[in-house]
Amino acid sequence: MELTINGQRYTVADEPARPLLYVLRDELGLTGTKFGCGAGICGACTVHVNGVATRSCQTMIATLAGAQVTTIEGLADGEQLHPVQQAFLELQVPQCGWCMSGQMMAAAALLAENPNPTHEEMIAAMRYNYCRCGSYARIARAVMRAAELMKEGAA
Amino acid sequence: MKHDARPQRWRITRRGFLIGLGLVGGGLALGATLGLPAARLALADLLGDGAGPPASFPKEPAIWFAIQPDGRVVMAMPKVEMGQGVHTALAQLAAEELGVAWEQMSVAQSSSLGPVRDPAGTSASYSVMGLFGVIRETAATLREMLRAAGAERLGIAEAEIAQGFVIDPAHPARRIGFGELVAQPREWTAPAEAAPLTPPDRWRIIGQPVPRLDLPAKVRGEAIYGYDARVEGMLYGAVARPPRLGAKLRRAAPGTALSRPGVVQVVIRDGFAGVVAESRLTAYAALNDLELEWELPPPFTHRDLEERLAAQAGSGTIIQQRGDAIATLRGTQVIEATYRTPLAAHANLEPQAALVDVQPDRVRAWVSTQSPVQVAESIATTLGRAADTVEVTPTYLGGGFGRKLLITAANEAAILSAAAGKPVHVGWTRTEEFRHSYLRPPTYATFRAALDGQGAIIALEQRHASGNVLFDFIPAPLRWLLGSDFGAWRGARLVYHIPNLLVTSQTVELPVPTGPWRGLGLLANVFAVESFIDELAHTAGVDPLEFRLRHLPDSELGQRFRATLLAVAEMAGWREPAPEGRARGIACSVDMNTVAAHVAEVGYAGDKLRVYRVWAAVDPGLAINPDGLAAQTEGGIMMGLSATLFEQVTISEGRIEAGNFDRYPLLTIADAPEVTVQILRSGDQPFGGGEPPMGPIAAAVANALFALTGERKRSLPLG
Repeated sequence: MELTINGQRYTVADEPARPLLYVLRDELGLTGTKFGCGAGICGACTVHVNGVATRSCQTMIATLAGAQVTTIEGLADGEQLHPVQQAFLELQVPQCGWCMSGQMMAAAALLAENPNPTHEEMIAAMRYNYCRCGSYARIARAVMRAAELMKEGAA
Repeated sequence: MKHDARPQRWRITRRGFLIGLGLVGGGLALGATLGLPAARLALADLLGDGAGPPASFPKEPAIWFAIQPDGRVVMAMPKVEMGQGVHTALAQLAAEELGVAWEQMSVAQSSSLGPVRDPAGTSASYSVMGLFGVIRETAATLREMLRAAGAERLGIAEAEIAQGFVIDPAHPARRIGFGELVAQPREWTAPAEAAPLTPPDRWRIIGQPVPRLDLPAKVRGEAIYGYDARVEGMLYGAVARPPRLGAKLRRAAPGTALSRPGVVQVVIRDGFAGVVAESRLTAYAALNDLELEWELPPPFTHRDLEERLAAQAGSGTIIQQRGDAIATLRGTQVIEATYRTPLAAHANLEPQAALVDVQPDRVRAWVSTQSPVQVAESIATTLGRAADTVEVTPTYLGGGFGRKLLITAANEAAILSAAAGKPVHVGWTRTEEFRHSYLRPPTYATFRAALDGQGAIIALEQRHASGNVLFDFIPAPLRWLLGSDFGAWRGARLVYHIPNLLVTSQTVELPVPTGPWRGLGLLANVFAVESFIDELAHTAGVDPLEFRLRHLPDSELGQRFRATLLAVAEMAGWREPAPEGRARGIACSVDMNTVAAHVAEVGYAGDKLRVYRVWAAVDPGLAINPDGLAAQTEGGIMMGLSATLFEQVTISEGRIEAGNFDRYPLLTIADAPEVTVQILRSGDQPFGGGEPPMGPIAAAVANALFALTGERKRSLPLG
């Protein structure tokens, strides 16, 4: 079957019950999306499906016909980092970095839908992504900083 | 990651430096060995310009730089990057003394075979403090060699160095870049005199919050971890797991596994059954097709382990003693308490993972590990190969926390790859990670103490017990000599001046594998000690900060504690009342010579305990990268809070109950407090950074909870 990932079309083996995460990582070599729990709890595997933050470990590829999938590899516009990536870099957020693709994809989906989140709205959107290194204080600041950068960029 | 730019031959100098000549690409490499005995150095000197170092001589240096013709400096990294920022901090030390611009520095992870071998591994918050001297000395030596060569080329006696150039001070426009210098053929010699180190008041890069070198790749999702390691033609492996801790595989047969599409091989050998398949999902599915018979040991629960600790806690080895605590406590009014902490998981978000390619004459492996040399030796033993034919390249680690010292997955991938004749990747599931890993051991500590009429502690006795932390890494004779596991009692000794003091620690064998967790025993033991000190303060009717200050010793360490406690009290407004409905607690600790003090502010949101704010003051001696240390402090506090409030591994019928995060939830951003960090400086030497700053958090929260409710909680988790 065909999948559209980061604007590019891929033909993958027609095994509809495979979760997207394994297709991304093991078949297409897009290892930026991470495995954390395989149960939709930790958020490390978060990607966008039609712009919505989605757990790729719980998304069977059969449900993705005609869908636009975006992974961390497709978040930047070429060399130009997405404002979320810029903010995460500026505030030196990642430690080990394993959860960070999921964190940034969750943040980017939030800001696409709500460019001006309150602190509570930000927490509500980010609370399902674990960070074991404990960079939560910086994640919180960086998501709000990314919102500022998007405004500056739009102005 | 593979480092090909190795010198063609080494010259060994009298001072123990190895100078590499004829580097691939026309550069210059300089390395230094660590701790080489003088006799071996003399032996090495005999070789002069011979064919190379003798077999007994470390083939590779411990510190290694290569200057490339374009002026870039590549530093081979002996330590692994697991988020603690060590690559950046070590590169800062080098850049400072080399006299190059920060932008010229780059790093390359060394493998288990070199260029820099690191048998110690990356652990114990020791990397920066352990390498602070030798990296700077080696870099300074290289700088002086470049200065001498540059001065000669410029035809001057004294040259200056700045930003990677050798400069004529009389005519600053006359300059030669390091890259140009090393590109010219030349006989390089190490200076006879020790190269002078840059004095602290002239540091440009040490002490600066330079951005982390690994983050640009990490924000793009391009950093490669062990779970991500891929090579052409690789297969995926899965291994059968026992249904109960300690169960042995009695019999195994392939069953129907081989008829499942995508299964390549079933591997059964002594006590091991695994599957190699074209995809990970197929390999795991095929485990269910195997016929397995297990020999089950008697079942047990986590409560049985706690009872074992309690039963043995009285009979430990003495780890701290002053005066006569037992006699002093006899016949006085004694304050007693018992503290417990549970088994806990590392919950590193990247489960353990390894890609191993077993070839006829060599083995290559890419592993998410804190100790590539040990993993290489373990693979070699597993396969019956010579250790120097196994090359383990550590990748970035998706969390280490002590979990990635021993990597069973690497041995499993090696067995499967040897059988299949192809590279095999083994990446554990979350369930395997929860149920088949070593854990933070439970602890049990009883305290007895007495106060004098002025509210000073006149005697204190602590009986501590814990499961193994480091004993499994230590040979038996040394264990016997040590008596108790020093990793288990990290943080259990008291800094306070108490005239009669006795602390003992008993290491208890448990039927569940336990080992190092971030800070080893630190969090658990400081929780017990600093909670009990708080009990004594309240019994004495003295403010907990004041009580601690009064008991600090009149020593340099005591002074550092005083400064750190006063700093955090100032930050938190300790002497002002907490907001309505909230209360504050204070605690402090020292670990790897870094002093930390926390104030936590807690309250209830409905019936849920919330930690609203944490203030932390940390004195690491000298922070090489203050922002990096602040990040470690923030992160350690969050991880420590997660353990303080929520985490507990439970065992039923000999099986760990949690198979995923639904039964072992971690702290989330919604639970995270506001954290304010202040990094203090007390000298020109760095101490531990990755673990010590988290030490006080559990006690600070428990003490705040007591201040709020008047009820003392003496076991974790609190939430």
